Amino acid sequence: MSKQDTKPSLEARREFLSKLGRAATCTGAAVGAAALGVMPAVSAKSPPSAEADSFPTKDYDWTKHQWAFGVDATKCIGCLRCVEACKHENDVPRNAHQFRTWVERYVHIEGEDAVRIDSQQDPVNIEASGSEKEFRFANRYKDAKVEKAFFVPKLCNHCTHPACVQVCPTGATYRTKDGVVLIDHDYCIGCRYCVQACPYGARYFNEEKGVSDKCTWCYHRITKGLQPACVEVCPVDARVFGDTKDKESPISLFIRNNRVQVLRPESGNAPNVFYVGIDKEVN
Amino acid sequence: MPKHIFRLLSLIAGFLVVAMIAIPLLTDKSFYRFGHYRADSVPEIAAQEPVLQTANYCKGCHAARHAQWSASNHKSVTCEVCHGAAKGHPQNGKLPIPKDTAKLCTLCHEAMTGRPKTQPQVQVAQHSGGQQCAVCHNPHSPKIAAATTKVTGNAAAGKQRAAACSACHGADGISPNDTWPNLAGQNAAYLVRILAAYKSGDQKDVAMTPLAQALGNADIQNLAAHYASLDCPTAPGKSAIGNAVAGKALAKNCAACHGETGIAGNPAWPTLAAQKPGYLVNVLKAFKAGLRKDPMMAGVSRGLSDADIANLAAFYAEQSCKTTK
Amino acid sequence: MEPIIAFAPYTGWVYPNETVFEWSVLIAVYPYLTGLVAGAFTVSSLYQVFGFERLKPVAHLALLTSLCCMIFVPTPLLLHLGHPERAFNSTITPHLTSAMAAFGFFASFYVALLMLEGWFAYRPFIVEQAQKRTDLLGRFYRLLTLGSYDVSEHAMRYDKKWIFALAVIGIPAAHGLHGYVGFMYGSLKAREWWSSDLMPVIFLFSAIISGVSLLAVLYVTSCKLRKIAVDLACLKGLAYTIWAFIMVALVLEGLEFANIVYKGREGVDVIMQYVTGPLLIPYFILQFAIGAITPFLWLSYMIWRGTTGKALVVGVTVCAILVLFSVFMMRWNVVIGGQEISKTGKGLLSYQMPFFGKEGALMAIILTLAPLGLLYILTRLFPPWADEATHAHS
Repeated sequence: MSKQDTKPSLEARREFLSKLGRAATCTGAAVGAAALGVMPAVSAKSPPSAEADSFPTKDYDWTKHQWAFGVDATKCIGCLRCVEACKHENDVPRNAHQFRTWVERYVHIEGEDAVRIDSQQDPVNIEASGSEKEFRFANRYKDAKVEKAFFVPKLCNHCTHPACVQVCPTGATYRTKDGVVLIDHDYCIGCRYCVQACPYGARYFNEEKGVSDKCTWCYHRITKGLQPACVEVCPVDARVFGDTKDKESPISLFIRNNRVQVLRPESGNAPNVFYVGIDKEVN
Repeated sequence: MPKHIFRLLSLIAGFLVVAMIAIPLLTDKSFYRFGHYRADSVPEIAAQEPVLQTANYCKGCHAARHAQWSASNHKSVTCEVCHGAAKGHPQNGKLPIPKDTAKLCTLCHEAMTGRPKTQPQVQVAQHSGGQQCAVCHNPHSPKIAAATTKVTGNAAAGKQRAAACSACHGADGISPNDTWPNLAGQNAAYLVRILAAYKSGDQKDVAMTPLAQALGNADIQNLAAHYASLDCPTAPGKSAIGNAVAGKALAKNCAACHGETGIAGNPAWPTLAAQKPGYLVNVLKAFKAGLRKDPMMAGVSRGLSDADIANLAAFYAEQSCKTTK
Repeated sequence: MEPIIAFAPYTGWVYPNETVFEWSVLIAVYPYLTGLVAGAFTVSSLYQVFGFERLKPVAHLALLTSLCCMIFVPTPLLLHLGHPERAFNSTITPHLTSAMAAFGFFASFYVALLMLEGWFAYRPFIVEQAQKRTDLLGRFYRLLTLGSYDVSEHAMRYDKKWIFALAVIGIPAAHGLHGYVGFMYGSLKAREWWSSDLMPVIFLFSAIISGVSLLAVLYVTSCKLRKIAVDLACLKGLAYTIWAFIMVALVLEGLEFANIVYKGREGVDVIMQYVTGPLLIPYFILQFAIGAITPFLWLSYMIWRGTTGKALVVGVTVCAILVLFSVFMMRWNVVIGGQEISKTGKGLLSYQMPFFGKEGALMAIILTLAPLGLLYILTRLFPPWADEATHAHS
């Protein structure tokens, strides 16, 4: 080999080695980055050290319960004590436009095709109660020829496939192992995509706290063996709550002994609030 | 590779590495534990303090009231519905006792379209004329018990027994003087109840107590049946003691139990129409003073002045006790 | 205590929680801005990737416009969030079932891509300025060179490859950045007005016409300000692009509306009542008749008659302005319109837009115009004019 020839081969070798080195560095960087990215997910999935600890509290193990709610609309008298109680219990803004739970009134007037529906945000009802902070249905149909009328309490349905959980970009809202859909007020960024996604209008945005909010089935009460506030105060047993894992709980009996239905089954959300006695227009 | 490309790639790689390191560092350590959320949030929410305490909590200090309430048909209305949430009570002071019961009670009990018929509900204006519900109804035991007295007596047997009563109450049940009440045509259920009350000591009267104690339960039933069957006084008497027109205005508040013209809608309560005005005055005063015992009448009479009592008596004395029934 | 929020008036029956409009005008401005980004980038890519040489005069202006709009894109969102300081939660722990979680990644990737492509496009200019200037601005340029003044043939070949690659990647990236918003609306089953398979595509096509129209207006304006002649071939190229994409946009929007009416699902009577009532002017008159059909017909006429010269410039500019207006109305009619139709299918609400305030009309106007302000500054730092002696590398 002449001196002229070694130069190209030397160059070629250098080129090859530098290419190899570059490739190795790139691969290493890529693998390292991927490992770092995968690590949190992997480490989190490994079981926590104290597996036997009851979660979320030491007196309450969420794997032992599966909650559900029932509404008997044939019993509701529209007294709105549930709405009041919920507002007090859960620090819901004291106005007539943001609710964790509310009651709707359906009235069929003789000679009219369309049903008349009203609820707590109706100005006539706000006037009857005297302020936005108190709740009352105005007795507005007492002189009308009414064919059929009834009240329907509404609240978050704590769906099994919640649309709101699906659309949350951060993971601030989630479904617990005992079947309750909760909101992490320390993580929510307040984008309100969940408020748009809920087909039932169960969610609202709390301006003061800057986060979305909704009914939690009073999770802080049910994990202590208490009833949700609305169930506690209902004077006519229109609201039923219980553990579907217990075959003799009020809700299990309610579901077994009645023909129950859910709101908007076509949404695919699989709601867990079961209604008895609602009518064709209720959605 | 040109220098600037290499430097650019290094910048990008550096940024990605920083991001890859930062993301797990910034992620809350409880995230991903059970799913795509911060697991610590669950115990945080569960740890919140309940605001409503339930009736069991109230029972701790208010046992007697709780017992009365839980035996009544208001036992499905928990204490905090009317008194407000008990969190922080008694440390933060008393809970409010609702004053405007007409506003509070009508939330459930106003007759309203859509309310199931099983719910006790009233047309407020006709029922109470707008006065406070608590005047007649004890919120912790709202059902007026008197409405359930049974009447099983024999009028003929009662007539025999009534001979002993005619000195004061008249042979035909129409009293000879202003102090002692007419009994003719009075509601049997009321008579049973009041005689039984005299007998048991629930009600005390100097004259009636020993007399009633001598009666057996069958006697009471028979006497009641006898007097109820008699014709009530025909000509209503004009009373000199009060203003019947003023009394009529006041009587609106009494109409729910005693009827608009003093003819009681429910036989458990006495008909006042054509009753002796002197007797009515004495009885109302006795209720007001607490000498005659009835939780409802005590409340109603509390706000009546002597003049009001006289006017009411005058009004009822003038009324015809003839009904269309 | 006075309520801190305004409650919307309504007719019929609406859920109590619906009386607060959660997504305000700023949420209509946001897709408008990302649409301008995508549209402007399309012009740049038409030149860089598809070889539309006639668009050379606007190629770099398009890039700068895209970048300026992109920088302001997060602003309406940050102003809207209840906790803007937590905004990165969706990037740190993105919930992969949520379309919105894509935002952090698409946005950061795209702003980086735009900056990169711009950097590559302007490198010779940057290097030249770095070497020539001695003032503070010179420091700025020198920083941008990353310490390399290499503008040799070898380096330029690399640069060209990078520009091409970025332009190619940038097309799906831009469409992802804007398309995910359309998907967010289109996939929402809770609202009949939004729920449609066509929604992402409609958003994309109207985005393209808005971006191209913006470029047309900016180009003509810049020529007028710089007192040079408008390159008619370039302008005609832009006009063709607008014309072609308007047709598709009109067909898609028409199909979407036709589907709602034809399927006649529960709640369609309220939708019809809404569309023929409160939405008649914003939808049929402003968005369609004035904003889309008029420019389409006018452009068709100019193309058919081979209009040129001043008439072409005026015609295309006016059409472009109408299209810009129409696309904004489209965003408004979707975002606000969707919320004005109640989820109950039995009621209608009325959005009351405040003028002042964090999410008011004034803020919307400021955010829409701010990119233009930034663009003015950037055209001074990185002149995009193809006719100047010291111009950017093509």
